[in-house]
Amino acid sequence: MKFYLRRIAFYVITVWAAVSLNFLLPRMMPGDPAAIMIGKLRRASGGRELSPQVIEDIYALLGADKNTSPWDQYLAYWGRLLHGDLGLSSTRYPYPVVELIGNALPWTLFMVGTATVISFILGIVGGAWVGWKRGTWLDHLVPATALLQSIPYFWLALVLVAVFSVQLGWLPIVGAYDPFEFPSGPEWSWDFFVSALQHAFLPALTIVISSIGGWLLGMRNMMVSTMSEDFVVTAEAKGLRPSRIRDRYAARNAAIPSLAGFSIALAFVVAGSIVTEQVFSYPGIGKLMIQSVQGLDYTLMQGVFLVITLTVLAANFLMDLLYGLIDPRVRSHG
Amino acid sequence: MADRFAGIRYLMPRWSAKLGAGLVIVGLITLFGLVAPFFTADPRDSSNKGLLPPSPEHLLGTTKLGYDVLAQLATGTRGSLYVGLLGGLSAMLLAIVFGILAGYFGGWLDEVLMLATNIMLVIPGLPLVMVIAAYVQNTEGLGDFARSSTLVALILGVTGWAGSAVVLRAQARSLRTREYVAAARVAGERGLRIIFVEIIPNLVPLIAAQLIFGVMAAVLGEAGLSYLGLGPTNSITLGTMLNDAQTGQAVGSHAWWWFIPPGAMIALLGTGLALVNFAIDEIVNPKLRLAPQAARQQRRATTAGKGVAGGGAYA
Amino acid sequence: MKKISLALAATAVALSLTLAACTSPAPAPSGSAASSAPATAATLRVWAGSTTPITVDFNPFHVDTALYGTYGPIYEPLFFFNQLSSDAPVPMIGQSYNYSADGKTITITIKPGLKWSDGQALTAEDVAFTMGYGPNKTDKMISATATDDTTIVLKYSSPQFTAASQLLGSTMIVPRHVWSKIDNYMKETNDNPVGSGAYVVKTTSDASYTFTANPNYRDPVPITNVQFLGIDSNQSGQDLLSTGQIDWTGMFIANPDSVTGTGAIGTMNQQQDPTVMVTCADASKGCKGDQTDVAVRQALNVAIDRSQLAEKAWVNLVGKANPAFVLLPRDQKWLTDSSLAESPQTANAAQAGQILEAAGYTKDDKGFYAKNGKEISLDLFSPDGWTDYNDAAKLIAEQAGKAGIKITARTVSEAEYWTPVTDGDFQLAMYGLTQSVVADPFSNYDQYFFGKSTAKVGDAPVRGQNYSRYSNAVVNAAVEAAAATDDEATKKAEYAKIQAQIAIDLPYIPVVLNASQAFFNTKNFTGWPTDANLYADPLPYLSVAPAIVLLNLKPVQ
Repeated sequence: MKFYLRRIAFYVITVWAAVSLNFLLPRMMPGDPAAIMIGKLRRASGGRELSPQVIEDIYALLGADKNTSPWDQYLAYWGRLLHGDLGLSSTRYPYPVVELIGNALPWTLFMVGTATVISFILGIVGGAWVGWKRGTWLDHLVPATALLQSIPYFWLALVLVAVFSVQLGWLPIVGAYDPFEFPSGPEWSWDFFVSALQHAFLPALTIVISSIGGWLLGMRNMMVSTMSEDFVVTAEAKGLRPSRIRDRYAARNAAIPSLAGFSIALAFVVAGSIVTEQVFSYPGIGKLMIQSVQGLDYTLMQGVFLVITLTVLAANFLMDLLYGLIDPRVRSHG
Repeated sequence: MADRFAGIRYLMPRWSAKLGAGLVIVGLITLFGLVAPFFTADPRDSSNKGLLPPSPEHLLGTTKLGYDVLAQLATGTRGSLYVGLLGGLSAMLLAIVFGILAGYFGGWLDEVLMLATNIMLVIPGLPLVMVIAAYVQNTEGLGDFARSSTLVALILGVTGWAGSAVVLRAQARSLRTREYVAAARVAGERGLRIIFVEIIPNLVPLIAAQLIFGVMAAVLGEAGLSYLGLGPTNSITLGTMLNDAQTGQAVGSHAWWWFIPPGAMIALLGTGLALVNFAIDEIVNPKLRLAPQAARQQRRATTAGKGVAGGGAYA
Repeated sequence: MKKISLALAATAVALSLTLAACTSPAPAPSGSAASSAPATAATLRVWAGSTTPITVDFNPFHVDTALYGTYGPIYEPLFFFNQLSSDAPVPMIGQSYNYSADGKTITITIKPGLKWSDGQALTAEDVAFTMGYGPNKTDKMISATATDDTTIVLKYSSPQFTAASQLLGSTMIVPRHVWSKIDNYMKETNDNPVGSGAYVVKTTSDASYTFTANPNYRDPVPITNVQFLGIDSNQSGQDLLSTGQIDWTGMFIANPDSVTGTGAIGTMNQQQDPTVMVTCADASKGCKGDQTDVAVRQALNVAIDRSQLAEKAWVNLVGKANPAFVLLPRDQKWLTDSSLAESPQTANAAQAGQILEAAGYTKDDKGFYAKNGKEISLDLFSPDGWTDYNDAAKLIAEQAGKAGIKITARTVSEAEYWTPVTDGDFQLAMYGLTQSVVADPFSNYDQYFFGKSTAKVGDAPVRGQNYSRYSNAVVNAAVEAAAATDDEATKKAEYAKIQAQIAIDLPYIPVVLNASQAFFNTKNFTGWPTDANLYADPLPYLSVAPAIVLLNLKPVQ
C-alpha cells in the first residue's frame, strides 16, 4: 500500500512541476506574439491599415497582461486549466486549443500507442527468444539491432516513403486516412478503419523498426543473466519442460527490468514519433507541437506540451502499477 | 604479491570480435572526422556545378549549391562528433552529480535529487528541447552563438542526463553497502573523497557505457533538431547536411549521393559505439560473456553425445 | 515459442498488407488520375497551400486565416484585375465603373438579376453596405450609397485613382442580410458562407474541404466539385502530384521535368515578385550598421553574381530583376531610362572596390574593406525553411566576401524573422516584395519607397510596408503627384524621377524576380491559361484568379 501511496504522491508532484514549467517557459520566450500576429495581418491585407478595433482585440488575446502580477497570472492559469480552458490558438485563430488537441490526440494514441505496444511486445518476445538461444548464431543478430537503433528516425521515414509510397505505390504518402474517399472526415465504418490502418502502417513501421532494438537487447541481456541463476538450474534439475522454464521462470523475471526501463524508452518514442508524424504529415500531437513552436503559437505550444507530459505520465503510472503487481519485492520495500 | 595491474585488467574489456569491430568502426570514423577535412575540398566552395553525381573529381558528387559532398561529410562528421562528445560529456557530468551523489549520500539529498531526476525523466525530452532551443536561440545579444553547435550540444546535454542518473544511482546505492566503503567510512574518510576514490573507479565501466549512450543520443538528437530547423544552422554537422538535403529536395531530384551518406554515417557511428557498449556490458555483467560460452559448450557436448543434460535450458 | 512468435509477427504483417492490397488499388506512380476513389470527371483536386489540421474559416475579413477558395470561388469582388496583363478589368458582380475628374467619386453599376447562394437578390444595397462595413471603411471614405438597384456611388476625401484594384478588385462583396447582424466580425468563422461566387461549401474535414457548384450562379459552372487538400510539406505535395492524386497546385519544384515528363501535367512559371535584400537604409531613423552608407549598398549591388544565384539557388527558374522595380514586359511603358531595365547579372568585384575606395574605404590585410580601422561587417538573415532565400544568402555572403565585403549569413525562425524586419532592427535581410497587381508600378513605389509608408526604427509602419526606413523628398513628392492624377504622361514623368532616385539609393538591393510555378492536370482538364492566352494566373493560392480559371476549365470526356 505504501508503495502505491508513494508513487501517487510522486506523480502529483510531477504534474504540478510540469504545469508550472509549462506556465514559465513561454513567458520566458522572447518575441512578442501580438506584434507578430499584427504584422502577419498587415502583410496579408497588402499593407492596408488595420482598424484599431482589430489591434485591440489581438492584444487582449495575445498580449502580455501588464496589470496583473505573475503570481496572479499563475493562479489564473491554474483556474483556467481546471475548467478545461487552454486558450485560443493564434495560428489557427479563433479555434480553442482544447479542440485542436482533442482532434489530434486520438490519432497519436492510435498510431504511436499501437506502434509502441507492438514494438514492446515484439522486443520482449524476440529478446527472450534470442536470450534463450544464447551461444548460437543468433548472438550475431545483436549487432544488427544496434544498427537499427542508430538510424535517425526521419531519415528512415523519408527512405521508406520514397521506396514504398512513391516508387512502388504500395502505401499512401501522407495523412491519417484517405481524404478522397472520406471528404467529410472520420466516420464509424469498416472502410474508414481500413483506410486508417493503411495510413498508419508506414509511420508505425518506422517507429517499430527504430525502437525495437532497445527492447530486444535489454531483454536478451537480462534473459542471459537470468538463465544462469540458481533457480533456473533448480528448475532444470526438477525436470521441468524447457518451454515452462523459459516462460514461467526465466522470461518473467527477465522482463521486469524492461518494464522499469519503460519510462526511459518512452522518451525516445515520443521524440521519434514527433519527427515521424512530421514526415508523414500524420495529424497527431507531435505535428501540432512542431507547428506551434515554428509559428510561435504560445497558447497552443503550452497546451500541447502539457498534454504530451500528462500522457507520458499516465503511461508511466500504468507501468508502475503493472510493475508493482508483477514484482512483489517492489511493493514490500519500494 | 598481487599483480598491481590485476584490478585494471579486470576492468578492461575482454577482446572479442564485437569489440574489435566496434573499435575499428569508431576509430575510422573519428579519424575521418579529424583528418579528412584537411585533405578534402572546401565544404563551403560553391564554384562547382550543382547536383553532380559521383565522379573522380567529386567522389560523392555535389550538393544543390555546388558544395562537394565528401568535403561536407568530413566536416559534418567532425561537427557531429563535437556535438556528440560535448553533449554526452555534459550529460554524463550531470548524471554523476545527480545519480552518484544521490545514491551514496541517501537521505533528504537523495529524495530531492531523485525527485528532480524523475521529473526530468517523465517530461518528454524532445518537446522540452524544442521549446528551450527556440527560447535560447531567439534571445537577444547572443548573436552567432545562438545557432552554434556548442549551444545545441549543451542544450542536449542539460536535458538528457536523467536516464543515466537513474542507472548510476542504483549502482551507487548497492556499492555503498560494500565492505571496503564501510571500512573507508570507519577510517574517517570524508564522503566526497570516498566517492572519488572508492565508488567512481568501480563504476568506470558503467559510466563509460552511459557516456557512449549519451554521445549517441546527442548525435541523434542534433540530427532530429536540425531536421526541425532548430539545429546549429551556422555549422556543418551530419544533421544540418541531412536537413539541407531534405529541404533541397534531394530525394525528389534523385540525388541519393547527397542524402544517403550522412544518414549512413550516423548509423555506422551508432553501430560502432553500440558494439563497444556490448563489450562494456560484458564487463559489468560477466554472465553475458560466460553464459553464452557455457551454453555453446553444452550444446556441442550434447550433439557429440557427451552431454549430461538432455535438453532443458540448453535446448 | 519460436513458432508462435514468428507466426504472430508474420500474421500481423500479412494482415496489414492484405488489407492494404484488397481495399483499394494502389495509385500508379505514373501521371494517371488517382484511382483510390473513382474520381467523377468533374471533381478537381487542388492543393493551394493549406496545411493540416484544416480549421474551417470562410470569413473574408480574416485575411490571414481564411481558407483558400474564400476569395473568388465563394465570395466575389466587383471586377477581376488580371495581374498578368494590362487589359481592362473583367466584370464579375460589377458591370462598369468610372471615376470623377478629381478622382474622389466613383460610380459603379452592377449586373442586374444577381442572386446570393441562399436565393436572395444581390443588389446595390449589398455593395454599398460592404464598402462601408468593418475594415473596408477607410478613414478617407465619406459615403457609400446605392442610388438605385444597380448603381452605387462612393465618395472620398482624397483622389482614389490608385485604389482601383483594392476597392474594385480586392473587396469581397458580402450579403447585407447576413453581416448586418454580426457585431464582432473578427470572431466569426463563417462556417456556412453565403456568397455570390460559383461555388458553395459542401463538406469540410480536418484533412480537406470540398466545394460544389452554386445553383444560383449567373453562369454555367463546368467543374462541379472542387476538393482542397491540406498537405504539410512540399515533398509530399510533389509526390502526390507526380502520382496523379492532385490535379492543381502552385509550388516550387526544382526539377519540373520530373513531374511534367509524363505529359499528363502542364506547368507555367510566372516571374513577378522581386526578391531583394532589404536594407535598413536611413541612419537618421535609427538604422545601425555599415549598410546605412549608400556606397556600401551600391558596392554590394555590383559585387553579387546574380546569374550564379539564379542557377544555384533557384535552378534557373527565376527572372531578372531591375532597380526601377518595373515589371517587364507588362509595364514596359512606364520605364523611362532603359539602362535601368536589368540589374548587373555577373559579379564585378573591381567595380565594387572602386565604389568603396571612392567613398574612403581601404582594403585591410585580411582582404576586407575597412574605414578608420573598422572592417565593414554586415549581418544578413533569412527564415528557416525558406530554402531559396537561405541558399541565396549563403552564396551572397561568399560572393561579397570575394569582393572584400564581409557578410555573415544566418537563419532564424520565421516568427523571429518578421519582428526585426518590421521594427527596423536589422541590417540586411532576404525579402520578397509583392508586385503591383495592375499594369502600373505605382503600388510598388507607394508601399515600399514612400516616406509616409515607413516609421523610425522601433516602430512598425502605420501604413504600407516600407521596412527599409527609406525617405527621399523627391520620391515622396513624385508619389503624391502620381496618386493625384490619371494622366499617363504626368505619371510617367513622376515615375522617371522615382526610378532615377531609387536606382542610386538602393534601399532594396534587387536580386531576382521570383518564380511562381503552377502545375495542373492537362490530361483530364482543358482550358488552362497558356502563354498565348494568359487570361488569369493559374496559381491556386491567389485571390479571385482561381475562380476565373475554374470557370474556364472543361473536364475531358
